[in-house]
Amino acid sequence: MRKRGLKFYLSIYRKILIQDLKSKMSYRADFVISTFGMIMTNLAGFITFMILFHNFPTINGWDYYHMLFLYGFSLVALTPVQCFFDNNWNLRFMVQTGDFIKYCFRPVNVFFYFMSEVFDVKGLGQLAFGIGTIVYAWIHIGLEVNVLIILKLILFLFTASLFMIAIMNFAAATCFWLKGSGYVMVIMFRFKDFAKYPSSIFQGVFKVIFTFIIPIAFIAYYPSLVILEPGNVPLLSWLSPLIGLLFFFASYKFWMLGVRRYDFTGS
Amino acid sequence: MNPKRLLALTRGGIMESLHYRLGIFVTLFANLIYLVLVYYLWKAIYDSSGTDVVNGMTFSDTMIYLILATALFNFLEMFVVWDMSRAIQSGKIVLDLLKPMSFRKYTFWSYTGNHVVQFVLTFIPTFIVVMIVTGGAIRMGLNLLWFIIATVFALVINYNIEMLIAPICLYTESTWGINIVKETIVLLLSGASIPLAFFPEKARIVVEYLPFRAVYDIPLSILLEKSGSDTCEGLLKLFGLQLIWLVILTVAGNIFWKIAVRRITVNGG
Amino acid sequence: MGNEALIMNNVCKDFKVLNRHEGLKGSIKDLFSRDYKTVSAVKDVSMTVERGEIIGYLGPNGAGKSTTIKMMTGVLEPTSGEILVNGKEPYRNRTQNCENIGVVFGQRSQLWWSLPLIESFKLLRDLYMVPQKDYEEMIELYRSLVDIEPILHKPVRQMSLGQRTLSDILAAFLHNPAIVFLDEPTIGLDVSMKDKIRALIRGLNKEKNTTVILTTHDMGDVDALCRRIVIIDHGQKIYDNDIEHLKSYFGSYRTLKLKLADNTWEEMLIDEKTTDVMDVIMEKQKEKKITDIKILEISTEDVIKKIYEGGTR
Repeated sequence: MRKRGLKFYLSIYRKILIQDLKSKMSYRADFVISTFGMIMTNLAGFITFMILFHNFPTINGWDYYHMLFLYGFSLVALTPVQCFFDNNWNLRFMVQTGDFIKYCFRPVNVFFYFMSEVFDVKGLGQLAFGIGTIVYAWIHIGLEVNVLIILKLILFLFTASLFMIAIMNFAAATCFWLKGSGYVMVIMFRFKDFAKYPSSIFQGVFKVIFTFIIPIAFIAYYPSLVILEPGNVPLLSWLSPLIGLLFFFASYKFWMLGVRRYDFTGS
Repeated sequence: MNPKRLLALTRGGIMESLHYRLGIFVTLFANLIYLVLVYYLWKAIYDSSGTDVVNGMTFSDTMIYLILATALFNFLEMFVVWDMSRAIQSGKIVLDLLKPMSFRKYTFWSYTGNHVVQFVLTFIPTFIVVMIVTGGAIRMGLNLLWFIIATVFALVINYNIEMLIAPICLYTESTWGINIVKETIVLLLSGASIPLAFFPEKARIVVEYLPFRAVYDIPLSILLEKSGSDTCEGLLKLFGLQLIWLVILTVAGNIFWKIAVRRITVNGG
Repeated sequence: MGNEALIMNNVCKDFKVLNRHEGLKGSIKDLFSRDYKTVSAVKDVSMTVERGEIIGYLGPNGAGKSTTIKMMTGVLEPTSGEILVNGKEPYRNRTQNCENIGVVFGQRSQLWWSLPLIESFKLLRDLYMVPQKDYEEMIELYRSLVDIEPILHKPVRQMSLGQRTLSDILAAFLHNPAIVFLDEPTIGLDVSMKDKIRALIRGLNKEKNTTVILTTHDMGDVDALCRRIVIIDHGQKIYDNDIEHLKSYFGSYRTLKLKLADNTWEEMLIDEKTTDVMDVIMEKQKEKKITDIKILEISTEDVIKKIYEGGTR
């Protein structure tokens, strides 16, 4: 039996991506509208942020520039889920109509095949916005710049994105069990708005919940502490890449379990 | 239009929403968690500010406002944009147009069932919890009646905003883009994510006359007796604003829909 | 491995569904109800399909056809019993199984919606790891069987339903699978397109010795393609043999067509064992003038109709 390894999947993804981009170029109106939508959401998020700081100069001991850093960090961490896993939003409809079955007839991983179908360019605008915010905050806080820190930043941004992907996978996969679960995704996507605030605001049992069950604290707070407070990094920050992989893996398993459980009665 | 037929649609909508039983419980649960997030955030914000009252809003005012805004959001949420884009892409829109009832009316009345279920299952429980927790911060008087009236107006205005945006799907397939623009604008400018009281002075004056405010801010202000709604004059002003937007949006929605339908009939869907 | 492409032994499939109550009150009750019932979609079905066969898998709506197909393709797990596709259990080895099967669901394209067909083909070639030489040969074969030039560079979303079905069938055969499942491939197509598609399926089956399992409601498909048919109803297999054999069950049946004076044809099915054809004609003639008479062998369509209505015994 021929093996399908990582190399195979990467090369397939690249080919699908190129084809997809080519065809997207021919629908310029869609591209313009979704880019506009992306800019609007970011702008709205930013305005909310500004209004908040207009009224309250610090939140839980965090000043404006530190908060801005956290904000930029969360934006960059959201990019992968938007670019590569956007098809999750369509899952519910595909499952309901029975169209989902087509993903089960190919000799490749169903999760991969499903996600490969959509690559969303608009996430890139958010990436630029996020990077800009990080750089701006970085300069104002007066953080050091060297190769090691940049490498750390990239690693922990990647880590943070794993958590967001995992949350959305879990949320999307609920539709295999629940009809009318569209709201789960909507609300989970709104949970991410809280990632840009320091998780030290949570107390007691909810601190545990928002760290380990709905890992909002890992989308920006813990990973970014590695950069923001180099002298005083909590253990959870260092462990976050590992925990991120675990979460991602669990969400993938949950998603695949949904595929197996689903009885395809829609068709 | 025969009111019996409209009620039949509402009843069908109620049954359909109840059909998704687990979904309802999950929604309730997710809302609860969301509210916890909101609570901690604003608690931290108020703790850090050092004062109890910011822009005329105490912590509990802000909480009640935001919690009820979230509950209203669930209750008013419609997926008209998504529905329409699917109907257009699959060609089902042509069948919908053939129904013996105008498409706008049909959509509205089939959603009312969902609204009723959401009102009973999400808004009322939330409201009761808020009542108990805050121990009577909401006055139980005529303001409840005015609130219900304002909410019905809000519902119609919200629907008209949806219907004004949904036909854009005829011109593009980027449903996500359209929907997100609508959602962010409505959430921000209606006061659902941050109470309008916190907006800077100049921005607030502009926002106060936009239609989005009529969806969340006005019903909630009336309920909490803010924004001068405790006087007869202030109340009339708020209702007047809602009414004006209701008329403008309904007319605009109708016109835009007629233009859009012409496009469907010309292009054959 | 023997010469069987597919073996099913005593396969059953049950679904658990909530007992729903009627009306608004019932809906509210259902919100908390735990009243489930088990529905058997497929009951104890066994069959064997040889390599290179084209099997018509028939049954009325809701008989359990698509549930069976989903089990054969490895999407659903049978509740009990055994299925072997190319000697392997499809559900346990879904990915491997997919290498050896092709699936077409009529009206539900599996191709990349916005890509030109040729790009879809190339992606499929890579997905199935088809060697370039085999791929080129297959495309050549396609060229010899149908005129693919006009659709090759067209995005799927711009195709007509017929072209889309054609593309889907070609895509299903591209990796030269041992079995192809076709679920209502000619649904909604015009007469000439139906012919084209049937010719294509026959050609591919002959050239590549591919086993084809065809579900359809169109007896034209069955007449054109299948020698053997399997019929299920209410989840149970009620017939599994040659069409000719089936017709002999109803060997005494004739379709009688009478042309009346007003130029309309009247059609009726008559069992010669119980009724005399001449009597019927005489009787009819008393009412109306008959200008022409035709007596035909029973058609497949009529046979199947008889069976669905419960006339096997």
